[in-house]
Amino acid sequence: MQTEKIKFKNLEKWEGMLAKCIRCGYCYEHCPMFKFTRWESDAPRGKNILAHGLLTGEVELTTEIAEKSFSCFFCKRCEAACSSGVQITDIMLDLRRDLVELGYKGPGTTSITARSCARCLQCVRACPHDARDFVDGEGIVVDPVKCKSCGICVEICPIEAITIPLSFGTDTAEMDRRATEFLQSHTSAKAIVFACNWSYHSDIQNSKLPESETHDKEYEILVNLCGGRLDKNLLLTPFLNQAWGVLVGVCPDGECTHDGNVAAQKRVTKMKQTLESLDINPERIHLVQIPRGDKQLFQAEIDTFMEKLNQMGPIR
Amino acid sequence: MNTVDLPRLREIVGEKNIKTDPLDLYIYGADASVYHAAPWVVVRPDNTGQVQKVMAYANEAKIPVVPRGGGSGMCGQTVSSMGGILLDMKNMNRILEINMPDVYCRVEPGVVDDDLNAALKPYGVFYPPTPASSRIATIGGEIGNNASGVRSVKYGATRDAVLGLKVVLANGDLVTLGTYTRVEASGYQLEKLIVGSEGTLGVVVEATMSFVPIPEFRCLGVANFDTLRDAGNAIADIMASGTIPSMLELVDDVAIKAVNKTMNLGLKEVAASLLFESDGKVKEAVDYEVQKMKDICAKNNGADLWYSFDAKEREQIFMGRKKLFPALSQFDTSMASTSLADDMAVPYSKMADMAAKIHEAAEKNGIIMTAYGHCGSGCMHTKIMMDTSKEKQWEGAQRAIAEIYEYVNSIHGTTSAEHGIGISKALAFKTEKRDSLKMMAAIKAALDPNNILNPGKLMQAPDNWVKATNLRYAVNS
Repeated sequence: MQTEKIKFKNLEKWEGMLAKCIRCGYCYEHCPMFKFTRWESDAPRGKNILAHGLLTGEVELTTEIAEKSFSCFFCKRCEAACSSGVQITDIMLDLRRDLVELGYKGPGTTSITARSCARCLQCVRACPHDARDFVDGEGIVVDPVKCKSCGICVEICPIEAITIPLSFGTDTAEMDRRATEFLQSHTSAKAIVFACNWSYHSDIQNSKLPESETHDKEYEILVNLCGGRLDKNLLLTPFLNQAWGVLVGVCPDGECTHDGNVAAQKRVTKMKQTLESLDINPERIHLVQIPRGDKQLFQAEIDTFMEKLNQMGPIR
Repeated sequence: MNTVDLPRLREIVGEKNIKTDPLDLYIYGADASVYHAAPWVVVRPDNTGQVQKVMAYANEAKIPVVPRGGGSGMCGQTVSSMGGILLDMKNMNRILEINMPDVYCRVEPGVVDDDLNAALKPYGVFYPPTPASSRIATIGGEIGNNASGVRSVKYGATRDAVLGLKVVLANGDLVTLGTYTRVEASGYQLEKLIVGSEGTLGVVVEATMSFVPIPEFRCLGVANFDTLRDAGNAIADIMASGTIPSMLELVDDVAIKAVNKTMNLGLKEVAASLLFESDGKVKEAVDYEVQKMKDICAKNNGADLWYSFDAKEREQIFMGRKKLFPALSQFDTSMASTSLADDMAVPYSKMADMAAKIHEAAEKNGIIMTAYGHCGSGCMHTKIMMDTSKEKQWEGAQRAIAEIYEYVNSIHGTTSAEHGIGISKALAFKTEKRDSLKMMAAIKAALDPNNILNPGKLMQAPDNWVKATNLRYAVNS
């Protein structure tokens, strides 16, 4: 449908680049949002198509489109994998700039702060993207262009006043639900493996294995967006559901853009102390550093951990 | 136009499986082709029963239905050119059974090709059609398109791997076609008819597919040539020598430059390179075949002869080939790579002439074309690189394609070997299959009397492929 053309002054420079996207869809397998919803409109290619439609005026700008444009975890896997060289995140950032100027502000996957905020400003100081600010009369405000949905603010807020509204299955509640469901539905279940999207993504992207392959599964790999977001309750959940152990995979030192691996290490150490105080072998929770995309190493680490757990047996 | 009974569809598949927002419809209006046409509604069924109900409703209301897998089709097969319901099959994504003793697997249509292969790998077997898009393409889409890829020279296309299908017909009836066995004798092999029908005869809801053992040894060789003719002659000689390569690929200078640009593989920028591969259970046999192909290349002035059994080295070269299609978009900053006239097949002896014809037609009409492909199966891919914003470039592309297709027909080739017909190849298809068009129309009318299944595709698509729907590009006159 041809509508009155809105000027997207930041986005328009990408018109040629958008034509270069050959729409092969090879970005699908890399996008945590698409893998969660399986809707093509959540995939990077879908967003390129949308940006093209906005520029040509073929699609009318709506709040739904704005919401979609403010949704991205900036893992940039799509961009790294794109052989056509389409700078999808830069394109989306320029679209966001235009949208803000047109009066839209998300939130999509950008964080929001509840009214219960105590204004301690810890999140403002901690934000690595300079996206949070305190404004008199408004409280904490988030810049929806600068916010990269890294979740540091969510993790650091002492009163849990910060949330990322669209989490695409990567929030603590969903991880908790899936860990519990796996452990309760499989008599063979022994462990939960938390893997970071930056250092690992699974081979099976969009299909379900047959029952014969999954009924005796010993562990479930749950991919989150950063090891730093795994809170203590989530690390405890598997143990409360009779798991034998928990393995946490994070990026190597110096490779995490926001020291999430350091935060994860601290939590795992604390959890080890908790287990010890309960007379449980602290080795039942273990953290490993996995370089980006090194699936072989990750599998080897999982195998070693499972072997250890099998020697230890269930928690009595 | 939009007269869909949304409450009824919601009742069938549930609110969570329906998209009606203009943004979703706009996005689902595209695939990997040059076209754009939005559906009226996107419906994502969870199971066969829901597909049956959706079809029964659509048939009764005479609403077009376009089944869609990964949306990686390159000829507009999954673009809703007549509007209607887009049936997104990605929720039917279960691998139902891996049956080793009987050597088949059963899958739902939304299973991704690479996922199936990841699941088969622990059993030491693989599903061989492997199109370059295997990381996104679904088995259902591959069946609709009769997809094939680099290994089709030895292992065949999707049609060869399909043993049986469960298909929902236009009226919602469910039929089981084919067998679970390797062979079946007389009678119409209707499961094979469905393969390549591009969603115009029914909706595949389950497929029984054969697989083959993963070879223990693979050896990949590369030879460079100063002329396309030498490379073409080497291809014909290899295929005539009794060798059965597991891969025989040609890449021309344009393709080599594009891959070097994106992947920094440092390939030598020559007129043409051949990638030849042999696989098998006995190393000596694999080595024998690779040596033979290497000698044939040398005899045809092939240089820089290299080969390796090493998996990492092979993978690096192979990935370059797999990512060639998107890489072509980086050939020149002012040009985009379009999927047009992109998959002819010609007799082996005509490979060199075909490549020369492609370059000649491109130059004459002011566009850039590349020649590459699975030459072991006779398939020659091209891509047209042009400034898609200029109408004149589209006119040049049309002329070049017409010339190339005329040549393909004159040498008993086919204008579509792998990517299907959809909209962009319909004119060539109608010309090439003129003797069987009536038969095809009769089959279509018998199975889909209301013409609701992917209408406006194959023989129903308009002759003027540029004006068939909106183009996905912004074109200035």
